[in-house]
Amino acid sequence: MPETTPLPGQERFLAPLDETPLQETGALDTSSPPESQWKEAWKELRRNWLFWVSGAMILLVAVVVIAPGLFTNLDPSYADLSKSLDPGSSGHIAGYDKQGYDVFARMIYGARASVLVGVLTTILIVVVGLITGAVAGFYGGWVDSVISRIADIFFAIPLLLGALVGLSVINNLFPDRGEFGGIVAVVIALGVFGWPQITRITRGQVLQVKNMEFIDAARAIGATKRSNLLRHVIPNSLPPVIVTATVSLGILIVAEATLSFLGIGLPPGVVSWGNDINAAQNQIRSGQRIGVMFWPAGALAFTALGFILLGDAVSDALNPKRRTE
Amino acid sequence: MWWYIGRRALQAIPVVLGATLLIYAMVFLQPGDPIKALFGEKPVNETIRASIAAQYNLDDPFLIQWLKYLGNALTGDFGLTYAQQPVSQVIGDAFPVTLKLAVMALIIESVLGVAAGFYAGLRKGKLFDSTMLIVSLLVIAVPIFVFGFLMQLIFGVKLGWAPITVGGDASIKNLMLPAIVLGLVSFAYILRLTRTSVVENLTADHVRTARAKGLSDRSVNSRHVLRNSMIPVVTYLGADLGTLMAGAIVTEGIFNVPGIGNLAFRAINRGEGSTVVSIVTLMVLIYVVMSLVVDLLYAWLDPRIRYA
Repeated sequence: MPETTPLPGQERFLAPLDETPLQETGALDTSSPPESQWKEAWKELRRNWLFWVSGAMILLVAVVVIAPGLFTNLDPSYADLSKSLDPGSSGHIAGYDKQGYDVFARMIYGARASVLVGVLTTILIVVVGLITGAVAGFYGGWVDSVISRIADIFFAIPLLLGALVGLSVINNLFPDRGEFGGIVAVVIALGVFGWPQITRITRGQVLQVKNMEFIDAARAIGATKRSNLLRHVIPNSLPPVIVTATVSLGILIVAEATLSFLGIGLPPGVVSWGNDINAAQNQIRSGQRIGVMFWPAGALAFTALGFILLGDAVSDALNPKRRTE
Repeated sequence: MWWYIGRRALQAIPVVLGATLLIYAMVFLQPGDPIKALFGEKPVNETIRASIAAQYNLDDPFLIQWLKYLGNALTGDFGLTYAQQPVSQVIGDAFPVTLKLAVMALIIESVLGVAAGFYAGLRKGKLFDSTMLIVSLLVIAVPIFVFGFLMQLIFGVKLGWAPITVGGDASIKNLMLPAIVLGLVSFAYILRLTRTSVVENLTADHVRTARAKGLSDRSVNSRHVLRNSMIPVVTYLGADLGTLMAGAIVTEGIFNVPGIGNLAFRAINRGEGSTVVSIVTLMVLIYVVMSLVVDLLYAWLDPRIRYA
């Protein structure tokens, strides 16, 4: 091309080709499919120290839940009343509570009930919330109206108040429900008033995703409505649901402790953090031994913190705008 | 505007009705004879049975019972407690106390949360920001009653700065410590929300424009960053008044505050159905009204939103 000197004021400034984001179509690598958002998120997650810290915290709690015998050889339900409120000796670092139970052993064995409530409730609310939210958002119309109004009803009742009423009803119907029955009761009471949050998030996300071009593309190449929903809309609506579910897991563990603290959560015989904190009330009120409450409350906070931090890390990895909320 | 409010109010009716029906069913639709339970070991006196059944409409089908309850509630008659006091009077005594407590908590948490979150967002990654993030995470992870007991022990028992329990005198001074405890968790959420949106807004186009046209840092931060960061916080605060009033169950228990939370807890334990249903209905009404207020505040904060 011959160089021509442009008239003053008519110079054109062109960026060199290698500085522009445009590329020749031949240069695009089309031999392998592009990396899925999940793979990218996983790459992102591995670079985040928060993920490794929270992962280690949750792993530790998981080991305690699965094999409590590794951490203590004491029996959490063996009480020696002569040692009531004893500050502890070698082999009993946390001392004894009012009833003469070993506080450390109860902290270790209490993990199972508390974590089980958190995990089962989260599974329940995610399953119910995902199905209802996806159906409401995808099909719209009267289906959406019905589901959304029902979700509104359950959402409008505060979780703690609703769960308290629910548990008192279950107490009346099944007074002797054993240890596992007690856990199931708390899961149901928290789950019944917890699912609308997931429904709302899923519905909002599905409404956005279903109008995107790739959904039209899938329909154009002959995907049925149902396979579109299952294979494209739901998987692409998952990220905010996963983040909320992870954080809720931590918060639900705290909620279980609150219910047990009010004396209406897990049955008194169950070894759980909430029950132990409840039993330690009088010692902290009178300032006798703060340690009795410190250990179960500390373990509870540690576990909840692990899940909340993991939620933050996952949220950073899944959201390109990197918001932490 | 008025049209919008009217439409929203109409939409709220099925939610409020559904919520009362749900709780009413949970409380009253249980097997067993409640009147027989009242008599305990003693034989049931048929005259008294008839008068109790008539009073609580127990011989009617369930849905009719609920409709009669609603009808009475509309005229201000919420039934009687087991001690034969009108529920409306018991709630009327307790409600102002809890409202005062919740509003105090709301003011404390929003002022401190927004201020700390705003400052942390402006100084992202600095010491203040990291400290506040750790503090907020701890506050969310540790159950609220643990803080309640600790503060009661430190400020009430050891230092003597605040009364240990509130009891009959629910003055603003006495409610200060319970209000701080009640607002702690929300303080942490508001701090995080404000910080996140401040960080996002600092790099937004409209803020860059404001800086480019020469506005001072101070006026950019207060008028463009802070105001736009308030939108998610306002949503949160709207839903929070109801959550705070329900969360008061724990706080009022610890500090012995004679409010709705205490009342609800005792009513649930005693199975005093009419009180429970009335309190839950009240909470649902608060939630519905607050969501409407939030939507209207949106339009004020974000001029792009207009309701017709």
